[in-house]
Amino acid sequence: MSNELIYGAYILIWPALTLGVLTVICGAVVRDARNARDSDEDLI
Amino acid sequence: MNENGFTQFSTLTVLLLLAAFYGGTYLLTLLIRKDKEDTSGFMVAGHHVGFGMGAASMTATWIWAASFYAAATSGYTYGVSGPIHYGLWGALMILFIYPFGRRFRKLAPNGHTLGELIHARHGASSQMILAISNILGSVISLMVNFTAAGALVSVLSPLSFEAGVLIAGVGVLAYTLTSGFRASVFTDFAQLVALMAIAIIIIPAVLFSAGGPEVMVQGLELMTDEQADLFSMDAILNQGAPFFVAVLAYAIGNQTISQRLFAVRESHIKSTFVTATLGYGAIVIGLGMIGLMALSVGMEPIDGKMNNLIPQMVSTYLSPVFVALFFVLVIGSLSSTADSDLSALSTIMMADVYGKNIARNNPNPKVMMLVGRITMIVATVAGLIFASFSLDILVMLVFVGALWGAIVFPVIVSCYWDRVTNAAFTWSVVVAMALFCIARFELLEMTGATVLVFEVLASVGGAVVIGLMVFGFLGRAAGLVAAALTLVAMLIFATGFLRDYMVLVASLTAYGASAAVCTAMTLMSNERFDFDLIKRRVGDYDDAEFEDSGSLVAEGAK
Repeated sequence: MSNELIYGAYILIWPALTLGVLTVICGAVVRDARNARDSDEDLI
Repeated sequence: MNENGFTQFSTLTVLLLLAAFYGGTYLLTLLIRKDKEDTSGFMVAGHHVGFGMGAASMTATWIWAASFYAAATSGYTYGVSGPIHYGLWGALMILFIYPFGRRFRKLAPNGHTLGELIHARHGASSQMILAISNILGSVISLMVNFTAAGALVSVLSPLSFEAGVLIAGVGVLAYTLTSGFRASVFTDFAQLVALMAIAIIIIPAVLFSAGGPEVMVQGLELMTDEQADLFSMDAILNQGAPFFVAVLAYAIGNQTISQRLFAVRESHIKSTFVTATLGYGAIVIGLGMIGLMALSVGMEPIDGKMNNLIPQMVSTYLSPVFVALFFVLVIGSLSSTADSDLSALSTIMMADVYGKNIARNNPNPKVMMLVGRITMIVATVAGLIFASFSLDILVMLVFVGALWGAIVFPVIVSCYWDRVTNAAFTWSVVVAMALFCIARFELLEMTGATVLVFEVLASVGGAVVIGLMVFGFLGRAAGLVAAALTLVAMLIFATGFLRDYMVLVASLTAYGASAAVCTAMTLMSNERFDFDLIKRRVGDYDDAEFEDSGSLVAEGAK
């Protein structure tokens, strides 16, 4: 693997990981909101 | 661009950005506003925060303005491994607390603060030590965040530093005052989504605008051998090790963390804190990479100030739209931490000071809510005044950090060992602080037997840190083995060596001395504590005579 690829991956892995965590958190909040609405409770 | 090389917005543009941010955040809180706020909702959102909201809130709270600047500084100073040695240890502070958090929650399912738990376990003096350390930490954090707002506004616009401080303070107070912790958590989610989205865009944008990975690889030639080394000992000893020592102290000493441990649904504590660990690490290390990029392209920080690195890189390589996004990123991060500090302070004053010590477990919920809201207003004013004076907080930070280190062992061990007494807790902290001061300020001549004694205490401190971390995840036997192995290794390799790093010796001494005193005094005691008492003592603000007082409902009355 070239140095450019390794160095680029080393920097870009963090925004990629951030995107993954953002997706997980947003998915969980949508599920929580749906459950709260179904059970007539507050989200927070 | 102004004469310093920063993108310069007009006063109107910055005011519109701030109005959009704080106005939008305030409008969000109207969605969750209740006619009848209760004390439990105001302090811990009724202990029912879900996984998504909890993880978002924990991540947003732990990321403050200084996180970006310090991570970038670390990348610029220590090179390739620098951002990791800042972000990783900060992230582990969230991870390592959750096993203990589950224990806190099991002991006090209706708790709001760690101080309440310690009050139920030991009494007022131990509780107040914890409460005071929490209050100092949150006030410092408030001040730092308001200062960051003032600095950013004054750098990117003609507005003054004081105007930036004032707008941030009033903006944060406005959306937190009515619903307290519920508002903090709800807005944290929105702020984190914005913060993450901007980070995802800005990091690659700076990389490719600065020439891409090819230019970065060429930049390795500009670095020293240590800077180009992913396993740099320089970075480990100067950046990583001091942070590693602080991992448990920051988590135990910070009410913003324990508040979330008591607020998240009990079954979601692990998933919430593991996700927040990943989120914090990814964002902070990622933005720290901008400091590494600055080093790679040979950029010099304007006026030699490292805090200028990120705004300088964004201004140099990206369009003003990205600079505006960066502005929102910093305002979002500092506001989410500041609102959490306000909620933390109000909860400590409501539960620890008013509930436990003034009302003596018989609080009037209406007065309790008033105490919380007045605390928020007073704390904001104090934060604004301190920030406006640009006070030097270094000495205060040194003491608070040491106090947090000194309470780690007594707090954790009090939750597992039924023989620990109030005297053992209190005296261990007092002795640890005294010995810390001697080492930190070298009040005795640090030579011969004197420095050896402190190195041995620091070795015990190192063993305590490692032992508690292993204990949290793997249990008592593994924790004791890890502590013993660490102690032996430290005694062999650190004595004669650590004395060259007296700041580190002092920090570790705080851990080691408190552990030694607490253990010795506990072993001399024959007391046995029934941990079930904590459950009955904490969260019981119910009292018949106040059940019908106005529209407010005490938690215990439900």
